[in-house]
Amino acid sequence: MIRVGIAASTFLASLLLIAPLSVSQLAIAQSETYTPGQKIDKEYATFARQFLDSHCVDCHGATEPEGGLSLNDLGPVDEVNAGTWEAVWAQVTLKEMPPPEMDQPAVVQRLQFSDWIADELSHVMREQGGFHAPQDPEKGNFVDHQLLFGPLPDGIKLKPTASPARLWRVTPQEHITRLNELINTEPEYDPEKPGLRTHGDVVPTNHGGELKLYFGTDRIIYWQGGTVAYATAVKSVPAVLSTARAHGLENYPDFYTVNSAEATQILSIAEDILRYMAEGPLSIAEPYQISDDIRSVRNRMKGDIRGLPTSIVYSTQVVRPLTPVYDLMSEEGVDDQRLQAAVDYLFEALTFRPPTEKESLQYLTIAKQSIETLGKDEGAILGLSPIFLDRDALFRPELAKAGSPDQYGRVMLQDWELGLAVNHALRYIKPDEQLHKAIVEGRMRTRDDVKREVERMLADDSIRKPRILQFFRDYFDYDRGGYICKDSRALAATGVSNRGTAHYNAMFDATASTDRLIELVLAEDKDVLKQLLTTNKVVATKADNVYFGRRHSKEETRASIAAAKQAEQEALKTETDALENAQQQLAELKASLEENAEPDDAQQKDLKAHQQAVIKAKNKLDAATKKWKEKTFNHNVAEVDLTGPELFARVSRRSFGKGSMQPERILAEAPEGQRLGILTHPAWLVSHSDAMDNHAIRRGRWIRERLLGGGIPDVPITVDAMLPDEPDKTLRERMRVTTETYCWTCHEKMDPLGLPFEMFNHAGLFRETEQDKPVDTTGAIIDSGDPNLDGEVANAIEMIERIAESERAEQVFVRHAFRFWMGRNETLNDAPVLQEAHRAYKENGGSMNALIVSLLTSDAFLYRSHSAH
Amino acid sequence: MLNRRMMLQGMATGVGAALGTSLVPGNLLAATGSQTTPKRIIFFMQNQGFDPRTCIPEGMKRSGSLAKVKLPEPISPLEPYKDRLHIINGLHGLHTSPSHSAFFGALGGYRGSDGVPPAGATIDYELSKILPQTLLPHLCIGMDSMENMSTKPTIATLSASGAGQPIFMHSNPNHLYQMLYGGIASGDIRRRHEARSNIFNQIEQLAAAEGKALPIADQRRYGQYVQGFKDVNGLRDRLDSVADRLRDFAPEVDSRYTSPEFETDWHDALLDLGISALTSGITNTLTIGSGRGEIFGAWKGLGVEQQGHNLGHMDQPGNPIWIKIRQYNSRMLVRIMEELESIPEGSGTMMDHTLIVYTSNNADRQHTSGANWPVMLLGNFDGAFKTGCFTQLDGKRPINALYASLLCAAGQSCDRFNMNEKIAQKFDNSIGPLKEVLA
Repeated sequence: MIRVGIAASTFLASLLLIAPLSVSQLAIAQSETYTPGQKIDKEYATFARQFLDSHCVDCHGATEPEGGLSLNDLGPVDEVNAGTWEAVWAQVTLKEMPPPEMDQPAVVQRLQFSDWIADELSHVMREQGGFHAPQDPEKGNFVDHQLLFGPLPDGIKLKPTASPARLWRVTPQEHITRLNELINTEPEYDPEKPGLRTHGDVVPTNHGGELKLYFGTDRIIYWQGGTVAYATAVKSVPAVLSTARAHGLENYPDFYTVNSAEATQILSIAEDILRYMAEGPLSIAEPYQISDDIRSVRNRMKGDIRGLPTSIVYSTQVVRPLTPVYDLMSEEGVDDQRLQAAVDYLFEALTFRPPTEKESLQYLTIAKQSIETLGKDEGAILGLSPIFLDRDALFRPELAKAGSPDQYGRVMLQDWELGLAVNHALRYIKPDEQLHKAIVEGRMRTRDDVKREVERMLADDSIRKPRILQFFRDYFDYDRGGYICKDSRALAATGVSNRGTAHYNAMFDATASTDRLIELVLAEDKDVLKQLLTTNKVVATKADNVYFGRRHSKEETRASIAAAKQAEQEALKTETDALENAQQQLAELKASLEENAEPDDAQQKDLKAHQQAVIKAKNKLDAATKKWKEKTFNHNVAEVDLTGPELFARVSRRSFGKGSMQPERILAEAPEGQRLGILTHPAWLVSHSDAMDNHAIRRGRWIRERLLGGGIPDVPITVDAMLPDEPDKTLRERMRVTTETYCWTCHEKMDPLGLPFEMFNHAGLFRETEQDKPVDTTGAIIDSGDPNLDGEVANAIEMIERIAESERAEQVFVRHAFRFWMGRNETLNDAPVLQEAHRAYKENGGSMNALIVSLLTSDAFLYRSHSAH
Repeated sequence: MLNRRMMLQGMATGVGAALGTSLVPGNLLAATGSQTTPKRIIFFMQNQGFDPRTCIPEGMKRSGSLAKVKLPEPISPLEPYKDRLHIINGLHGLHTSPSHSAFFGALGGYRGSDGVPPAGATIDYELSKILPQTLLPHLCIGMDSMENMSTKPTIATLSASGAGQPIFMHSNPNHLYQMLYGGIASGDIRRRHEARSNIFNQIEQLAAAEGKALPIADQRRYGQYVQGFKDVNGLRDRLDSVADRLRDFAPEVDSRYTSPEFETDWHDALLDLGISALTSGITNTLTIGSGRGEIFGAWKGLGVEQQGHNLGHMDQPGNPIWIKIRQYNSRMLVRIMEELESIPEGSGTMMDHTLIVYTSNNADRQHTSGANWPVMLLGNFDGAFKTGCFTQLDGKRPINALYASLLCAAGQSCDRFNMNEKIAQKFDNSIGPLKEVLA
């Protein structure tokens, strides 16, 4: 659903501010030093009320207030008026209010007012879950870009930055990847085929977009039935940790916990995993099913057993990791040493660090008690499963308890915490040998230590770094296409197939393709953002010949149908003529023979040959007719012929039998003039579409926030405006409702940036017409913060080209990278870190590696503070 | 901090929650001081489709009373109960992609397919939240072939508590019994229950110890994690404290559990457990997946030798195999009604406050567009639904409208369930509950 509302605070839109700051206020603003993050020790009456009176109530007064919103009687922050204060906070923080033509509060005064509201809201709303907007990544841009990257005005004093000490819950994907390490052996990195999924890569979602852990699929050599039968018969468990965010940064430390349902499910899955670690496919199959002799097993399969676990044959080759859990369970009896080894192994495999003696003993005791009660077979499995619920198996601690505070009260992470923080910044599996050694040997304690390890890992392609790719997924949001439910008829109208799950499969494939394209750009590591925005390269499957194609106009479709018909007629004409000719010759021969009473042998032979010729010609015509009938044409699309060298993309384990995702791809070039960079690829376009059409507002919002660094206030809950349902109108025409004054204050920031993408339809195909008229692809960059960028654009390509050259877009990109790797929004105190990261990126030719090294060696990454940030 | 109800809600989606207690329907709720009239709902989802010709009485083309007509053979066991039956034909699920199965989309009213994660909470979960509170608001059981139930005793295909949050269903009656009644069991079940209890107690202790001295911002979040274990353990303790009363409801563990001859032995045992969870007041919402939401399933115990997928390729009307399966379903429905009717509640019986929703996760047949999605309701849910009748709708309203009706009947106003206005413009020609089915 497209909502076209605006923030409540835009009621303030036409606020006319006339009262200049009083002398006393100016004096306060000018004399005070503002340190970001420090509590604003001010009162409503003497500070906030004065701000409102000076800057707001002339328009939002008691009588006929602008937008119907009066701030005249807005009292101290309380639970009832919290919504209004939140709107005021957003507008003032974003510098939307006071309007630009009016006198502005001093920078420090604005910052103080904003912080004061946030503090008050946090306090008042604590029983209702608190006020978290300043920590929400979608509000990250609310921090003034100019203050972060430009000179600071007098009166602002930054303090050395640090991130808060914290627990960081693992993501579902990290969790599944961690569990996968216990039961599946992933192939080692092959430099000849760098795109293929390999050890250290993340466990990807499956053919339907579901994240699952698969058991034993690498040993399946036969199954009865088709794709669905396979999917039903194999053992798999879905991810149990939940996430709620579909777009944007997915995992700040303070987003999630683990609820009791998830915990109990993890315990149950743990038992399945432990059993598989011990017994392999025997834990999910009958002994006779494990054989290299498929025929012998098939002989035991009685009747139709499709979809049953017994319909599978597993090879005898052991491919899973054989671990101390296997050693423990494969021997008779219980050996304390082996039990201890199993405990320690599992602990490190699940938490990525060795257990302390105390931890080891605790889990050993539990396992022993369980074995005592239930016997070894059942007791060991149950008794080892609690390790899967250890705090550090589900949360990564950055508590910084070991070090001493510096003069600013910050403590630097060290040893395991620092090592695991660095590891987590790049990887989903446990530290590699060298990092492990560095941690154990006390060489993970300094900035240089971090630099050494990060640079080493970045330089080594065999060390997979899925977190970097995850950043690009979070930043670009190109991985949602397969989850956008399409109306079947609307989908067919785009020109792509709407049969079965073809489109959704194509979108999941497109996500994997885009992953690979990004990796290729990262491998070059030059002007990374610009390259991603402007590359003409495409990683493609066969289906992309359609998706990167051009939607025919109605006339072209008609012409295509006519041309196909003509081609058919021409193709068949040859065969028809041949048949008619053969029939004619036969008829003539027959007529001539009829004149002779007794045809001789030669004549008989000739007759037979002519008869054969007729049959042959008829067969040829039948075959050609059949061939044409079976030939499928997509008259709606001018397909492109994407060609290029072969490469691979990372896809799920076999999840759907022969219908599983395939890794084969080609590296091609997109049609010139139609595409430019991944924002013009179907993966991104469909991710920013809805069931029926393009989502110009969401696309525009993406450009505004992720490239221009602007902020959009929340849509107020009172607004539920819909675009009119007018099937004969274009999206642009239907979006006229957003241009009403009430809405435009916000929509001006999004719509003109999203509408240039109307050069593509909602399946991502290039188009020149819409509703049988030339498509309008114009738009504009308004109030971007960089006057060089502002102005009209003819289409998305022109807009992208302009922004790709912008330093501001680079800086905004750096801000997002900061958020991803620090797990929090930036504050003004982080300005030096951001500036340095941008400098590193720029001076190294747009190097992502340089950017990452800079961020991971920054104070924001290394230091923790025990007070709230 | 999550409140207790939310915690219980969370637990309901757990697989091996070492449950432990119960507030029994009227009786256990009374223990909590609640004055709310208990209500409960059961969803019975048979896979492979529900052909309307197997439930609509012959010759019945328009809406009307069932009083003077004879129910078709496949649902003939319901004949004595047709005064509480409501057959609904003409809902649709075109937007759910139900061919083979809509999976989570069947109860969610959104697009589903094999391998597609849930796009939102399903109706059974939503109802479990608003019905008068029970110990475990939501229980899901799944019936399948013996092999599948043994090797994959918990799967999640039908119910969800939110987008990307599947709820697992239980298919091994031994595990489910241990979870529900471990505290009153003896022998092996008791030992397992105690071992598991011990594990959970120790996990709670370890988790609590690891939560000490966390930063303030994390204490609340991590506290929820620890609280989850406290609730699991607390519930178990409370279950133990009402063990005597639970004994009155817990089914007897017999050879069907430990040495089943056919998968239907486990199906029956699972049904017993599901019914007991309702009658004992452990749960207010029971979801039964016969065929577990997928396109397979087995009923060898009924003499059906064919595997699930082939069954879907058969025409259902007049088919002896489908008559057997549907009659088996119907007998299960009768058992639920009889059991609930045998227990007094308020001025009537439990059944008076109950609704059974019977349908398929495949709409009307296996390979379907979802243009028609037949449903049978049994019971009137405290007088909220019409009974003893057949309603023919015009195919313009989606199953979401039925789900909105259920929410309304449960006391929560709802114009549309899981359907935004834009989709509704295409798939729903009206708004609000189905007035044709509400009393």
